[in-house]
Amino acid sequence: MDALFANLAHGFSVAVSLQNLGLCLVGVLIGTLVGILPGVGPIATIAMLLPLTFKVDPTGALIMLAGIYYGAQYGGSTTAILINIPGEATSVVTTLDGHQMAKQGRAGVALGTAALVSFFAGTVSTLLIAALGTPMSKLALLFGPAEYFALMVLGLAFAMVLAQASVLKAAATILIGVLLATIGTDLETGEERLTFGFAELANGIDFAVLAMGVFGFAEVLRNLEAPESRDVVKSRIGSLWPTRKDMRGSLLPMLRGTTVGAILGILPGNGAVLGPFASYTMEKKLSRTPERFGQGAIEGVAGPEAANNAGAQTAFIPLLTLGIPPNAVMALMVGAMTIHGIIPGPQVITKSPDLFWGMIASMWIGNAMLLVINLPLIGIWVKMLNVPYRLMYPAIMVFCCIGIYSINNDPMDVALTAFFGLLGYLLIKLGFEPAPLLLGFVLGKLLEEKLRQALILSRGSFMTFVENPVAGVLLLISLAIVVLAVLPSIGKSRNAALQG
Amino acid sequence: MRDFLSGVLLLVIAGVAVWQASDLTLGTLRHMGPGLLPLSLAVLIAVLGVALIVTGGRGKKVEVGRFPARGPILVLGSAVAFAVTIQPLGLAVAGPLVVVVSAFASEETRWIELLIFGVLMTVFCLLLFKVVLALPIPVAPWLLGY
Repeated sequence: MDALFANLAHGFSVAVSLQNLGLCLVGVLIGTLVGILPGVGPIATIAMLLPLTFKVDPTGALIMLAGIYYGAQYGGSTTAILINIPGEATSVVTTLDGHQMAKQGRAGVALGTAALVSFFAGTVSTLLIAALGTPMSKLALLFGPAEYFALMVLGLAFAMVLAQASVLKAAATILIGVLLATIGTDLETGEERLTFGFAELANGIDFAVLAMGVFGFAEVLRNLEAPESRDVVKSRIGSLWPTRKDMRGSLLPMLRGTTVGAILGILPGNGAVLGPFASYTMEKKLSRTPERFGQGAIEGVAGPEAANNAGAQTAFIPLLTLGIPPNAVMALMVGAMTIHGIIPGPQVITKSPDLFWGMIASMWIGNAMLLVINLPLIGIWVKMLNVPYRLMYPAIMVFCCIGIYSINNDPMDVALTAFFGLLGYLLIKLGFEPAPLLLGFVLGKLLEEKLRQALILSRGSFMTFVENPVAGVLLLISLAIVVLAVLPSIGKSRNAALQG
Repeated sequence: MRDFLSGVLLLVIAGVAVWQASDLTLGTLRHMGPGLLPLSLAVLIAVLGVALIVTGGRGKKVEVGRFPARGPILVLGSAVAFAVTIQPLGLAVAGPLVVVVSAFASEETRWIELLIFGVLMTVFCLLLFKVVLALPIPVAPWLLGY
């Protein structure tokens, strides 16, 4: 316990440097902005802004990128409440009661409650990350290649089941992602694989190129086709402070939401998206007046918002301790860490304690900043919603192009991104979901490496994955998840849950 | 229809991968060669593609909707235009080019607004990326020499 506080204190000493505070602030502000603006997600933004972080040290860079991520969660709930459009996928549930509250002239209370419970959830999960960090990375160091391989398979199995597309399509996108990861020079033999004879592909596809193509460009194309009708609440936002009755109603949902969200967030494979749904369902079941849900019940905002933020934060645990990103944003963090020369994994905590603890401390600071800064700024954020998309998307295009070009100063990268934009657009049009593709891509290299190592150790016997107790159990769970998802009856309730 | 096309897309991807991986050594399980994983993945993707084609015929049919070519061509084309012009002509040309070309994908675009916006965006980007961040992006080699 003492060590924990010593570590946290060290983290705060890193995070409160003027530069890091500034980067954290910039990060959360940009994050809130992209969370609010429909059509610009955190994934494209982080990819776009990677070059901005080249000049700063890795700690500062990650502090800013993390700020964009959880800032976007805040921003997402603002649009969910005010205009009934979930800025981020995870704030879908907030539209149900949050927008109703706004229609009843209680938008301010909904926003205030969302911010307060998010801050609470963020604080709890920051402590949780700090507490679990050291033991988890010690555990991870005991993992051999077979266990690592099995763990990644489990993560991908989760990603497949939790994707919004059909299970078949989700499986296909993950496999395509892994396939794209095999492009480039084979690490063991030096042979060039799947490069179509292009010398540029010998080093493999740059992560940012894929991310920006599939998320940045493809999203622009999709938004151009489906102009959103925005139903901005015209009435007054009203007082931001919840009344005493609101607070009493929010307390238990907040505690339960935080617990559920934090646990789901740790799961590999984007369990965090389930948090808000699980919390909402739970509150409705527990409530004595379930009929109020959907009519502007404060519990329906407090619980899911807490779960949302808790999950967003604890999703850092598998990334920082195991080096396995649980979702597409975390996959981008891996990319960012690699660009800055840090290999994500259990060694981060011992090799770069400044980075690990500084980032954790900055998350708490960032959450506090969001609470203090964002609420007074809501008026300005709402004005930003009036920027027409016809001006927004050319700006996105310019930023994306400059961003990609700056990574390697290579114009080929920009052209390649356009190609992936086309691929992403086709996939979206055909009902695939691009996020699992990115996850498959990021895990692909490690997956192959560990698979090869494990098979060399076992002299080519696949039995190693069954005989090894940890790997065996993990693979068994993966298999069970997939089988359950494919079974039609459960598949139906899965769809119901994911579509709210 | 949508699932059918999805299946076809998967088969095309698998086909390209098999073609590219065909001359790589497969190796053995004991010592996996570079070709083994890509080829296995291609086979799995093809299987899923076939599954989508077969199951797609049943149940509710989801239509694909229109495939308007204007958006993709202009938006992605603007990125390609950037790739072609950034090194010989610099950001002073490539920046406005991206704004103008991509803006034509939207039917709401207004000429005057667009021109002003393109110039402002480029100035902003020059300030941000060149002055503040000092990234090595060519600005206007034909005019300034860098």
